[in-house]
Parts: sequence; C-alpha cells; structure tokens
Amino acid sequence: MASRVLIVLLAALVGVHAGGRTLVLLDNLAIKESHSVFFKSLADRGFDLTFKTADDSSLALIKYGEFLFEHLIIFAPSVEEFGGNLDTSALTEFIDGGGNILVAASSEIGEPIRELASECGVEFDEEKTAVIDHLNYDLADEGQHTLIVADPENLIDVKNIVGAKRDTPILFRGVGMVADTDNPLVLDVLTGSSTSYSFYPDEKVSEYPHAVGKNTLLVAALQARNNARVVFTGSLELFSDEFFTAAVQKALAGAQKHDKSGNEAFALALSRWVFKEEGVLRGGVVSHHRKGEQEPPTAYTVMEEVVYSIVIEQLVEGKWVPFDANDVQLEFVRIDPFVRTTMQRKGGKFVAEFKLPDVYGVFQYRVDYNRLGYTHLFSTTQVSVRPFTHTQYERFIAAAYPYYASAFSMMFGLFVFSLVFLHHREDTKEKAE
Amino acid sequence: MAGESNIRTALSNPAGWQSLLSFSILALAYLAAFSSRLFAVIRFESIIHEFDPWFNYRSTHHLVNYGFYNFLNWFDERAWYPLGRIVGGTVYPGLMVTAGTIHWLLNSLHITVHIRDVCVFLAPTFSGLTSIATYLLTKELWSQGAGLLAACFIAIVPGYISRSVAGSYDNEGIAIFALLFTYFLWVKSVKTGSIFWAGCTALAYFYMVSAWGGYVYIINLIPLHVFVLLLMGRFSYRIFVAYCAFFILGLVLSMQIPFVGFQPIRTSEHMASAGVFALLIAYGFLKYLHTHLSSLTKSEMRSLFVFAVAASAAAVLMAVVYLTYAGYVAPWSGRFYSLYDTGYAKIHIPIIASVSEHQPTTWVSFFFDLHVLVCTFPAGVWFCIKKINDERVFIVLYAISASYFAGVMVRLMLTLTPVVCILSAIAFSNVLERYLVDDTPKIHHIEDESEDDEEGDKRNKSKDLYDKAGKVRKIRHEPSGEPESLGGNVKTIVVMAVMMILMMFAVHCTWVTSNAYSSPSVVLASYNHDGSRNILDDFREAYYWLRQNTDDHSRVMSWWDYGYQIAGMANRTTLVDNNTWNNSHIALVGKAMSSNETRAYEIMKALDVDYVLVIFGGVIGYSGDDINKFLWMVRIAEGEHPKEIREGDYFTPQGEFRVDKAGSKTLLNCLMYKLCYYRFGEMQLDFRTPPGFDRTRNVEIGNKDISFQHMEEAYTTEHWLVRIYKVKKQDNRVRLDHTARKTDIKPKTKFTSRKSGKRKRGFIKNKMLIKKGKRPSSKNKKPSRKTSSKK
Repeated sequence: MASRVLIVLLAALVGVHAGGRTLVLLDNLAIKESHSVFFKSLADRGFDLTFKTADDSSLALIKYGEFLFEHLIIFAPSVEEFGGNLDTSALTEFIDGGGNILVAASSEIGEPIRELASECGVEFDEEKTAVIDHLNYDLADEGQHTLIVADPENLIDVKNIVGAKRDTPILFRGVGMVADTDNPLVLDVLTGSSTSYSFYPDEKVSEYPHAVGKNTLLVAALQARNNARVVFTGSLELFSDEFFTAAVQKALAGAQKHDKSGNEAFALALSRWVFKEEGVLRGGVVSHHRKGEQEPPTAYTVMEEVVYSIVIEQLVEGKWVPFDANDVQLEFVRIDPFVRTTMQRKGGKFVAEFKLPDVYGVFQYRVDYNRLGYTHLFSTTQVSVRPFTHTQYERFIAAAYPYYASAFSMMFGLFVFSLVFLHHREDTKEKAE
Repeated sequence: MAGESNIRTALSNPAGWQSLLSFSILALAYLAAFSSRLFAVIRFESIIHEFDPWFNYRSTHHLVNYGFYNFLNWFDERAWYPLGRIVGGTVYPGLMVTAGTIHWLLNSLHITVHIRDVCVFLAPTFSGLTSIATYLLTKELWSQGAGLLAACFIAIVPGYISRSVAGSYDNEGIAIFALLFTYFLWVKSVKTGSIFWAGCTALAYFYMVSAWGGYVYIINLIPLHVFVLLLMGRFSYRIFVAYCAFFILGLVLSMQIPFVGFQPIRTSEHMASAGVFALLIAYGFLKYLHTHLSSLTKSEMRSLFVFAVAASAAAVLMAVVYLTYAGYVAPWSGRFYSLYDTGYAKIHIPIIASVSEHQPTTWVSFFFDLHVLVCTFPAGVWFCIKKINDERVFIVLYAISASYFAGVMVRLMLTLTPVVCILSAIAFSNVLERYLVDDTPKIHHIEDESEDDEEGDKRNKSKDLYDKAGKVRKIRHEPSGEPESLGGNVKTIVVMAVMMILMMFAVHCTWVTSNAYSSPSVVLASYNHDGSRNILDDFREAYYWLRQNTDDHSRVMSWWDYGYQIAGMANRTTLVDNNTWNNSHIALVGKAMSSNETRAYEIMKALDVDYVLVIFGGVIGYSGDDINKFLWMVRIAEGEHPKEIREGDYFTPQGEFRVDKAGSKTLLNCLMYKLCYYRFGEMQLDFRTPPGFDRTRNVEIGNKDISFQHMEEAYTTEHWLVRIYKVKKQDNRVRLDHTARKTDIKPKTKFTSRKSGKRKRGFIKNKMLIKKGKRPSSKNKKPSRKTSSKK
C-alpha cells in the first residue's frame, strides 16, 4: 500500500517536472468533456491539470508566498466573479510573477475577463457581441454569420506560436478584440478578414462597431517583459472537440471544402507556445577578454582586440540544447552603440571578435535578442575602457627626429666650444690691456 | 658673569632684538593663521568641507593607496557615467601630491596620521606659510616693519580665510602661498638680476602651475610688469636676465603638468608672455646695436631706436594675431571673456554663470572680507607710486589688475586679498613710522610690555618699525622733516586711533571667520532660541544610506553640485559632477530634471540611472536647494536642447518663478518639482501655515497631488533635506490607456459582489445546473442587484 502511494507521489512529481502544474478554470465541468481532446493532449505532454469551476470558493494561486501553479487556463468566459482569493489583481500578480495564462472567451464574456485583458493591453468587445463576417462564414452557420472561417494567411507568421504552415482554415465563433498598435508587447496572432467586424449579431448597426476589418483580433498574445505569456482568444469553441473535427467550407460558391478544420493543429501549437514549450531561450555564461588571454581585465584599453562569447540555449522537449541561429548580434554600447556585430556560433557558444573603438568610457557588451515567438534574451556586461597610460604611447616618433638631432648637435657643439674656450689663449690681447 | 655680559651685549644690540622680534612675530602670525582656521574642526569635527574638496580628498586617497603613477593614470569610471574621467590628466595634482608627500613623510617618521587629517589641516598649515611669504615679499618691496604687518594681516584677513579654513581642502589653499612666493622670488630676481633667483622663480611657478589654474595670472602679470618697465624706459639687463631665464624655464616646466600640456604654446592666454619675451629679445638686440652704431647723431639714433622697438612690438602683435586666425593658437576661452564682459557668461555659457562664486562682487563683500584694509589699500598704492622703483611697479600692477578681477568675480577676491594686505601694511607702517617717531631717538628704551598680547604685538611691530625707520631715514630725508614738528599729543591721538582701528580689524576678522566661513556645509547647524545648537546631518545620512543600501554599481543622478560628495561619501557612480567639463552631459541631466516624468524616464533609461537624488530645503528653510537652482538647470538644458526646453515655459505669464498655484503648468509637472514636493502636500509643519507650506520660498505649494509612474521614493532624510528616489524598471505589461468600451445598446448582466469573509464563492452567470435524471438547463434568474436592492 505504502509503496503504491509512493509510486503515485513519484508519478505526480514527474508530472510536475515535465509540464508544470496547471489550473484549469471552467464555467462548468461539462466543458472538460466537450474539450477533452485539448485537455488530453495537455495531459499527455505532462501537464498536471487541476480542474475547477471558476466560482469555486477554494480558488487560490498563491499560498505562503509561493505560486501553486505555473500555468493557468481560464475557460470560463461567463464568470462574473471568481471564487476564493482569485480576482484581477491576483491574476496580474500571477503574470508578473512569471505565470502563463490561456484565456478563452465567448459572447457571454464577463467583466473579470475584460478587466484582465485591459490589464494586458487588449480590449474585448462587450458581452453579447460577436465577430461577424458576411463573406467568410461557414456553411454550418445558423444565419447570423458568426461562425467564421479564418483563413490561415490571417495568422501571424511565426512558427513558434502557430506551428508549421497549413492551408486549413480555422473555425471561430465568439467575441472580438482590439489592441493598441503602439503596444510593443501584444501580438496579433489571428486577425479577422478585411470584411469582418464586431457587433451585436441581432441588432441593427447603430453605432460604429468596436472593431472593423483587420483590426478585429480573434486571437491575441502578450509576452510580458518578464517573459510570462498570456493568450486571449475570443472563442472558447475554438478549442472544442466539435470544432477540432468539423469540416470547413466557406458559404461561397465554389469554396474549397476541408474535411477537418485547422483548429486542432492551431490550438495545440498555441498551447505549446503559451505554456513555454516552444521558443524559450536562456543566456548562459558570458565571457570576455583580450584576444589571446583568458581572464577579463579590470579595464580594457582603447583599440584593443577583444573576444566576447555567450552561451545561448533553447528549451527543446524539456532539455536545454544549444541555440542555433545566425542573427544574434552583439552591441558595444556607451549610450549609443559604437560597435554592432553579428556573432558566430562556435561549439554551443556565440562568439564575436572586434577591435575596441578609440573612445574611452564605461561601455556595455549588450546582447538584445528579441524575436517574435522567442522569449526576450537580454544580457549586458559592463566594462570600462580606459585611455593609454603614460607608458603606452609610442616612445620614438618620426616627427621628433629633428629635435633629437638638434639636441645631439647642441651637445656636440657645446663640447667643441668648451674645448676651444678652455684651451685657446689670447695672451697677447691681455698683455696689451 | 660672562653670560650676563653676553646677554647685556645682546640686549643692547638692536640688530639682535630686531631679528628676535621679527622671528617671534612671524611665529605668532603663523600660529594665529593656523589656529583661527580651526573653528570648524572644533565646532564640528575633522571633516572635509563643501564640494570640490571631496574630490580632492578622494583622489588624494587614491594617490596614497596606489602610488603616484597609478594616480597619474587613474581612469575614474565612477564619475561622468558613462563617459568616465581620466583623473591624472584633468587635475592640478599639486594639492594631492603635497598632501601625499606630507603623509608619506610623517609616516616614515612613524607619526601615523590618517590622510584625512593631513588633508583637513593642510590649508591652515599653508596659510601660515603664506603669511611668511607675504612678509618676505613686503620686505623686498618696502621694509621689514611693513612686512611684519602684512604677515599679520594676511594671517587673519577673512578674504583669505574664506578659502582656507581647516577642512576646506582645495587648490586655493596652497595656491596663494605658491602665488606669493613666486612673486617674492620674481621681485628678488628683478632686484638682483641673477639667474639663480630667476630659476627659483621658475620652480615656484612650476609648483603654482601644478596647484591651481590661477597660474595664468602669474604668467600674464610678470610679462605685463616687464612690458610696463620697458614702456617706462626702465629697461636694464637685470630685467632681461630675470625674465628670459624665468620665461624659458617656466614654460618648459609648466608643460610637464599633464593637465596643462601644450596649452602654454597653443592658447591665447599664454601668448602675452611669449610676445613680451620676443619683444625683450628684440629690445636687447637693438640696445646692443645701439652701442655699436656710433655713426648716427644722438637724436637720429633715438628716433630710430624708438621706431625699431615699435616696429618689433607691432610685428610680435601681428604674429600672435595671425597665429590665432590661422588656428595654431586657440582663441580666448569663454571663462576669460567673462572676465571682460560680465554679461557674457550669462548669455553664452550659463554653466559658468550658474556658480555663485562667479557672480560680480558686491561692495558689501569688499568690506566684509577686507574690513579697514580696503580703505587703507589705496594709500599704500599711492606711497608706492610716489616712491616708484622697478619692483614697486610690479606691486602697483598687481594691485590694479587684481582689484579689477575681484570686482568681476567674487571668487577672485582671493587674489586681491594678499596685495591689499601688503599695500595696507605699507600704508600703516608709513603712518606709524611718522607718528611713532621718538623725539629723542638716541635713547634705546624698551617700553613695558604689560599690555595684553595683541596690542603688545602691534606695539612691538611699530617699535621695530621705528628702529627700521632709523636706518631708512637717510633715503627719505626731506618728507620726515615736516611732521616732526607735530605735537606729542597729536601723535599719541593718531597712534591710538590707528591702534583702535587695528583692534577692530582683528575683532571683525575673528567674528567673520567664526560666523561666516567656518561652516563645513556638509553638516548644517541651527540655533534655538536659548542658544543651544541643532546639528542637521542630513547630507551624510543620505549618502551613508546610499552607501549601505544600494548596489555597488548603481548610478545616481543628481544635479552636478552633489557629484563629488556622492562619489566621495556614498562611493557610487555619478552622472555629472563639479568638474563641469562636458556641458552637453550636464544639459542632458538638466533636461531630465526639467521634463515631465515620461520624457525624463526615457532619458534616465538611456543613461542607466538607478537612483535620483534631490536636495529639498522647504522643510527647514535651506535656501541652497534644487528648486532655487532649478532655473539654471532649465537654462543649461535650453542651451543644448532649445526645441524641447524653453525657459519661458517655467515662468508665469507675468514673468515670475513661482511654485504655488499660480506657477506655470510646466513647472508644476516637471520631474524636479515632483521629486522635491512628493508627499509634501500632506505635511503640516506648524499650525500657522497650511499643509504643504514651503519655508524656503514662503508659499503654499501649487501641486499637492503628486504621484509617480516610473519612480518610487527610496529614502528621505530626517529633515527632508535629501530625497532619494529609485527609478523603477519598465512595466512588465503595458496596460490599456483607456477604460474598456461600454455602450448601452443592449442591457448587460448586472452584478454586484456578494463575497464576504466567510462566503468565498464566485459567480458564473447562466450556470448550468446539473441534476441527476434531468437534462442540463440554464438558470436564467438574474440574481444579485435586484435582491440586494430590495434589502
């Protein structure tokens, strides 16, 4: 009995390490069944899923100052108030503490979800609205043109987030979003087509719709500055078994029919990204020194040849392996970059060799690798570059040769003069006087 | 018996008495000079004062710890982040080397003294030496008696004490000694015409160059002296030898200081000396030709000679002008222009004008710093002019130029002070000589010396003058004939009056020293009604906090005044400091301080700022705070960034600088204002004034509702004098900048929370109720608002 408990515990522990503890908040437990393919895929990838309804009175993300979960899935669009200790500030705290969140909304969207989105720079449209597209709707649509067929070319072109390129469209039914274009952290993962807009499907369009055309976001993602990832989707059904397996065909004459929607591939790729299975980098050991030396000096001197190297690793299937890219750049910065060079890969390390500028000051070696779909890699190392010491200048310069010559000729002349002066006698004159 | 007779002969030998007296008077003057500068040490502690001394102290410390060569090559990465500073090449090392040498000497004698104490007491020690140098110079110029008086004057005169109290470890402390000693040696070499003395002058000049940028004054005054002597037709080979030897040696020596480098041959400030040198050589050559061309008549020769000299002078002038235009010689620097046009700095280089010691001098401060000496000084000049000779031409030129410069800049009062002391001493000694003359000079009789010390001293001096006068009398025979007919009473009254004036002078000096010039300004003191003293140690409190609580490499942004103190006391990296060599970097900091928070945050991020330090005097009424300096920050920032910062934006439409409600919006929202007054609006200092009442400016502040987006308060000292803020990292997320859209096209689900301490259940609308045996159905009741409103 005891050994069996131990095995269970061990299994749980392994589970924790493989994917991470994940809390799933649901509107009702039926969703667990209707989205079983998605959840099963997560469970298979080693995530330790805990299902709870969003109004559960025992909800908590933090206990004794420690996060209980690494990831959070909110499949509870209609929640008006989270149970337990959960609220918007707890959720933002969770993000700021490095937790990842996957949020799926629907037309029943409640205020807490909208608030959370606002905190992340994404604005959901109001309750009971939906994304409408009178041209790109599915055959199975019930007449409101809200079951949208999203073309794969509206997907963001980043392999790490949306997976390999496919041509199967994605089925979507739900609420739309907009994001501030100035916001540097929010990514438009999936946008509506140029004919889509977001409004109440059963009302006359009396006001300018919240989102129109390509501005209508169907799926948005945020990678916070601490690399926490948050994904907002307007449609809970996007992840459902029903949509995963549904056939897709636009209700247009001569539209191509796909037997299976692209939802499954998209949803799984998205979950891999948001839960940090894809595109996670880390910077390792940084070393820098003069060319031909091993240890960094206390200060460099201007115009020296230096070697800088950094280890960059990528997380692949739970293991850190050397990162492979040819666009990692190194900058040598003193307010502005003085040197910017692409680093070469050498045996798991990225290496750059360059000559320091003829400028003294406090510089930084800076690697700022910020690519879509990857975590932000930022490494900075401060070094001082000093001018020549008084012994480092050139000792003999050509321009000084005339002066050397003059000094020696002067010495010689003085020698001759003193010889003459000492040994020459003008006795006649003296006597005359 | 033999000993007694020895003493008797010694007593009866006036020369012996004279040297004993002058020795003891000089020793006392030295002692007075040293001890009157110790107020600050006794009242506070042995601490480095002000701002610049902190850097000098820090670099001396480096010199002592790491040796001279490391000091010479020191690259200070903590100053001027991220530019850094090459200390060895940007300081006058004389001060540090002097202190380091003294420290080394004492330590090798096994007198273990901390370098700080050496630094603190260096200025008083050198003040004593200054009084001796003054004595020597005055003795050369006039008489021994005048020299002793001058030594006593310079020992206690406030104009010099202001820069040389214990703890004021600055270049001026040793430079005035070097200046006077150089002048003494110059006068000596002019008098003797010996290469030895000229060489000594060059060495002293070298020391001066290594100690202070004011050496430029010497290298212009001595050529001026030579030039004026030429004009007066007082050319002699003594002057020729002295100047040529001094100029060549001095030039070569001065170029050995890294900070000076090639300036002596590349800048306009030094061209006068080279020009005079060329002229002197030409003059000497013509003089030589003169003696060999005997074929011409006297008048012809004379006019030819004058013409030739004028032509060579013109040629020299043209050469200098040409070199300046061709770019070989740098034109006059801005600091020197500001000596000619007091308005120049205000328009072109606000950073120079922003320093209070660069302001024009007020009449009050002349009296405050020199007291009666400023009145008697013209008399001394007059005496010198009346009995002019080569060296007195020098002192007259010194007096005229120094009074001009002192009128332009408060700071240059320092160079005026010694000459005022010398010439006043000459005036006093002349008066005393005249009125203290004993009608029966044959009897050498010593008056009783039972009077108190000070007066006794002076009596002795005057006595000694009298002895001296006996010797000199032969030279000035005619003028001394008339006053001897004066009655004894008149003489006594005059002498008494002079003594009274001198006594008042001494009292004034002590009072000024004690009250005005002995505050370390790092530690402030305030006095209660009952005379007890409060020490306000906020500066050190804040710097110590920085030292203990921040990362070793954190970068602190503050206005440049506090750069040296932060580096010295807190040992943290600063962006700008008192070595104001890079105007654009200072302007950047000024721009950050005068922009709004968002703009400032961008600048601070670019400069990697971790902490911001401001000085705020509104709580205790300290007037030297950052708000009062703020307009200078704006002006300096405007000079470099005229598009973003405009001085006019910080004034009210009426052109006033106000921090109350009427103040301009730009001012009330700029970073400096917010940093100074953050949370001040909640603070009520006493019951007569409203909360947020600024005691320095005596107004209620205009913006009490201050909140920060990118900064947070890190530390505020006891009296709010120093406030330190931490610059936050960038936000982890970027929030929506507006509230989410809400329309009333369709009614929304209304909801109010019913959570309580016990009931923690949330709420999901349209929740499916799953009951066994029934199909799931949505509950359509709208619960909360209606039920709660019924209650």
